[in-house]
Amino acid sequence: MILDSYEAYRATGFRPKVCILGSGPAGTTIARKLGAAGIPVVVLEAGSREFSDESQDFYRGTTVGDFYFDLDITRLRYMGGSSNHWAGWCRVLDKQDFEPKSWAPDTGWPIRRADIEPYLPEVHDILELPDFRPDMPISDDIRWVQLIKSPAVRFGEKYADELDRSKNIAVVLNTYATELAGDGKRVTSARLWSNGQDAGTFSADYFIVCTGGLENSRLLLWSNQRSNGGVVPNAAALGRYWMEHPTFEGGNAILANYSEFEVDAVNEAFFSPTMAAMERLQIMNFGIRLIETPYAGVKRLIADLACTAPDAAEWAAYQLSQNLRCAAQLYVAWEQAPLASNQIELSKTDVDHAGVPRIELHWKKSELERRTLVEGLKLFGTTLIERDLGRVRLMDWIANGEAYPTNEETAGHHHMGGTRMGTDVTRSVVDANCKVHGMDNLYVGGSSVFCTSGQANPTTTITALACRLGDHLSKVVAV
Amino acid sequence: MSFFHRMSRRTLVRAMIALPALSLARKLPDANATDTGLPQADPNEIVEVNGWILKRSDLA
Ligand SMILES: Cc1cc2nc3c(=O)[nH]c(=O)nc-3n(C[C@H](O)[C@H](O)[C@H](O)COP(=O)(O)OP(=O)(O)OC[C@H]3O[C@@H](n4cnc5c(N)ncnc54)[C@H](O)[C@@H]3O)c2cc1C
Repeated sequence: MILDSYEAYRATGFRPKVCILGSGPAGTTIARKLGAAGIPVVVLEAGSREFSDESQDFYRGTTVGDFYFDLDITRLRYMGGSSNHWAGWCRVLDKQDFEPKSWAPDTGWPIRRADIEPYLPEVHDILELPDFRPDMPISDDIRWVQLIKSPAVRFGEKYADELDRSKNIAVVLNTYATELAGDGKRVTSARLWSNGQDAGTFSADYFIVCTGGLENSRLLLWSNQRSNGGVVPNAAALGRYWMEHPTFEGGNAILANYSEFEVDAVNEAFFSPTMAAMERLQIMNFGIRLIETPYAGVKRLIADLACTAPDAAEWAAYQLSQNLRCAAQLYVAWEQAPLASNQIELSKTDVDHAGVPRIELHWKKSELERRTLVEGLKLFGTTLIERDLGRVRLMDWIANGEAYPTNEETAGHHHMGGTRMGTDVTRSVVDANCKVHGMDNLYVGGSSVFCTSGQANPTTTITALACRLGDHLSKVVAV
Repeated sequence: MSFFHRMSRRTLVRAMIALPALSLARKLPDANATDTGLPQADPNEIVEVNGWILKRSDLA
């Protein structure tokens, strides 16, 4: 059932075992798994069925460090969460993303990709994906990888009827969990704010926080502060190791045979480094996305090349005369090194309407990442030369070592880390089963548990992890 | 066939018009680098010039 207020929910007398906070891709997927296993579950969703400025206002916050999006723009606070405006690009993190890297501290997951692979068939159904084709190495250094542009499932729309009909799932809208209370072993209750006022407390056997990759940290930091450490007893890493996928136009390429890379339906192809290349160059993962350059842009590019390398320009002009599609803009999105200093803090001065401190996000790109961008583009350029496939030109600001531009794509709206998974309680918040260290009944869903970000957009992996957590909890709760 | 024959005159003129004037003054390295007293440069060596990732022989 779906109810529009906490008051309406209370009147139903529904008795859930599990309480999920948030109805985005993570929360909805876990709820469906538990519901299907016959476990009564309530999903408390802060927003309503539609976007509203009033609800978005709870997401305002500030950023310290590098330029970043306004925090109430980079996510959506209503049923279905940010799936209401995601672009639908899908790919699971690479096998190598789960492995520790000696040149980048705090990398490596306590699980392997093989641990989520059994859930991929379900993920394909949920996100309406065709099968991925395997990565294809084009050299020892570069893989031609696939990102699928999916129909961008809006979870609130796709599953509204199913959730409404479900006997085991109650979705309660306009119900904001402002804090959890805990005794250092268990969460004892959640304090609620519904339709503009305090709505008292709520108890369940299990709580799963799925409020998004920024809000998960905010809710747990605030809850922990209010409970004197009773919600996240090992809080050294809470809010820390936050990551994004910085994304910038990195340059251009002239290609001998554009169609060789059977570009997908939207005429784009993607390239990433091999683990051997990452290790040799001591860089992080990255994805170079080829977007076809219009004819006028190709001519300018060839003219520019003619000033530097007449022979190569001659070759490029020949490509143009043979095939109008012969150049691409190169967009680079890369993996951020997990740094404890990139973190979500609670504002000391600014609170939302319910009195919860807003987020102060500290975010800076590191030297290692700059090297990843520069060396990654050079590696791609070298591979094109060696394979006789084309030539690459770096953007001036990259070639000249200038600051990042502030008028570009900037990042992917991918909010990762803050409650990362691990075995060391000083460097992680949840264990391999997404259970908060030291707590018996508190779990976290979503990309805040990511230890590293890889280069792939996160929602495919979020959904796989949610299926895995749903399965795990079905067994735990049934006992 | 030379560069000029492969590219139509019209395309070439248009491409040159699109050139930012400044890039005419850009650094043009020596493709062969033979007069330096150093051994003959490897034509397959990867070089970065004006932001382009090229092989030395491209500079000829
Ligand atoms: C413009 C844009 C484009 C994107 N494109 C892509 C893409 O192409 N590919 C990709 O993989 N990812 C993409 N993403 C990211 C993707 O949207 C997120 O990864 C995904 O939505 C995260 O799912 P989630 O369930 O963890 O969190 P969310 O989707 O953020 O859902 C969290 C839910 O919790 C609710 N909530 C918050 N606080 C509380 C509270 N205290 N109590 C109760 N409820 C609460 C919110 O209202 C929301 O419904 C994009 C994001 C944006 C903004």
